[in-house]
Amino acid sequence: MIHHASTATNIAAPLGNEAKPGHGFLSLQGLSKRYSEFVAVDAVDLDVNQGEFVSLLGPSGCGKTTTLRMIAGLVQASGGRIVVAGRDLTAIPPFRRDMGLVFQSYALFPHMSVAGNIAFGLEMRGLSRSEISNRVTEAIALVRLEGRENRRPSELSGGQQQRVALARALVIRPSILLLDEPLSNLDAKLRDEMRTEIRDIQRRLGTTAIFVTHDQDEALTMSDRVVVMNHGRIEQTGTPEDLYERPRTPFVASFVGRTNRFSGTALGRSVKLGDTLVHSATEANGPADVMIRPHRITISTGSAAASGGQNTLSGIVRRMTYAGNLLQYDVLAGDLTFQVEEATLGSGRALAPGTTVTLSWSAQDTLVFEAKP
Amino acid sequence: MTASATHAALPEAPKLDGRALIVMLLLPITAVNLIGFILPVVNLAMISFMEVRSTGAMTGNWSFAKWQLVVTDPFYWELLWNSVRTSLTITLLTLLVSYPVALYLHRSSGMWRSILLVMVISPLLLSAVVRTYGWIAILSDRGLINNGLMALGFDGPLRLMFNLTGVVIGLTEILMPYMILALLAGFGKLDSRVEEAAATLGASPFRVFWRVVLPLSLPGIALGSLLTFVLAVSSFITPKLLGGGRVFLLATEVYDQAIVTLDWPLAATLSIIVLVVFGVALTIYSRVLKSLG
Repeated sequence: MIHHASTATNIAAPLGNEAKPGHGFLSLQGLSKRYSEFVAVDAVDLDVNQGEFVSLLGPSGCGKTTTLRMIAGLVQASGGRIVVAGRDLTAIPPFRRDMGLVFQSYALFPHMSVAGNIAFGLEMRGLSRSEISNRVTEAIALVRLEGRENRRPSELSGGQQQRVALARALVIRPSILLLDEPLSNLDAKLRDEMRTEIRDIQRRLGTTAIFVTHDQDEALTMSDRVVVMNHGRIEQTGTPEDLYERPRTPFVASFVGRTNRFSGTALGRSVKLGDTLVHSATEANGPADVMIRPHRITISTGSAAASGGQNTLSGIVRRMTYAGNLLQYDVLAGDLTFQVEEATLGSGRALAPGTTVTLSWSAQDTLVFEAKP
Repeated sequence: MTASATHAALPEAPKLDGRALIVMLLLPITAVNLIGFILPVVNLAMISFMEVRSTGAMTGNWSFAKWQLVVTDPFYWELLWNSVRTSLTITLLTLLVSYPVALYLHRSSGMWRSILLVMVISPLLLSAVVRTYGWIAILSDRGLINNGLMALGFDGPLRLMFNLTGVVIGLTEILMPYMILALLAGFGKLDSRVEEAAATLGASPFRVFWRVVLPLSLPGIALGSLLTFVLAVSSFITPKLLGGGRVFLLATEVYDQAIVTLDWPLAATLSIIVLVVFGVALTIYSRVLKSLG
């Protein structure tokens, strides 16, 4: 007999045990992975709240995937602890961790149908046949794959395969959903669609999610919080706005978003870049790295005095690139070359190379990092 | 340039049309198969219908005598059944001992994988005769195993040779490299990520193997089993030496009839039966492959 589930929101995440105060629902404590001569992950501390969407962002080899695989239990940690809802999982094998993992390569079971793939985790949990069938139906509806239940993975497009992988990971109502670069095998348009879809589903179910990516756009647009990693360490953890507006290290400033980067000497609230003195909003002294976002610089053909920013420089356009939504300029001001981005507001407004221009930006857009001795 | 202009320019160029090219490319292999396989088989079939004197001389007359003998004499039915059963046993044993090796090889990488592959392939560089004598040194009444057992106080030699046990042991080892290579070739769909996915979904290592690894390696198992079975049915040196004339199989009987008794028509008849067995095996294999998708 088939029971039709009357409640459509059955698939919601389980009510987790209350996390201990001061700890996250997921808590990584000094988590490390050392290979014989190489430290892949170096004492990572991270607390993630229940229902939070946290991205691990960094270049390849930064340790983000290793961290994720340690959380899943597929890589044995060499040090530190993984705690979920107050329970230490560090020594627990992956098949008892109750986590849903979505792979970059989808990793669907090629010998099973869509429904078979999604049912697998439920069968492993020994659920009844009717329960499995109900939950598979719900999960298929959740990722909008109705009518494709009996297809083999090889008969589906990349986007559909990724949806099956997502449904397969979610249907077990995992304590944590782990996503390992799930979008990087999709084409650009589909990637944007899946971004929104993954985030919507995660919000609706209230699932805690860890998302690994090397794509800063993905990290910024999808996450509640982003963890920027480099050389196995956490560079900075914060909201997308924190990372973009208040990067704490030159690495974060240059990795998250595009930037002009100069070396100079900080003198209190200004920095000397060669012969040019620019104002900043933070106190710093000594050798320093200076970064200015290209789109925070205003470019105009008016005179220096007419510009409203606290930093004004005059320069000459060396190169102009038309990128559709953006105009990108290389501007030589004194001995410094600035990249400047301006939204295209209409046709015929691009400045030709050779034009004399004024660059201006406010002091708080000058990011100054004291160089480490 | 428009499409029609391109078209108009082409016919003048000297160019083979597709079909002629295909025929030309297939010609050498067709010729080799015709001369090296089809004609000898036809010849064999014709010999099986020839009349023969007890001296081995063929009279040149046609005769159904050998086919009649083979079909009516229970000895040959038993011979067929013996051959098939022994070969199936050998195939199963070879699969059981080769599968873990192949799986381990599939998962290893780099230098270690190369070393292991060489170790798997190197027995093929030795003739089966030499390897069979190696087994005689191990299995005989005063061989390695029996000497060892008797040194441990075991009473009397264990008969490991001149019987079916010896043939099965020897052929299993001799056919292992073929099985391992065939399994490896069929392991293409095995992906460590898929196994990891099963683990994160709650499958214990045993269930990962049963639900994912084993089903995905079925094409390799089918290919390896076919190859091993065919080789087991047609091998005669190892059964002859390790069987010591007490193990009767189709292939050894063909050899005896052709070389010892000089009854070529009977040898030809039995050879055709071996071919039929191959045909059946191949049919089963293609059915299995089709059902695996």
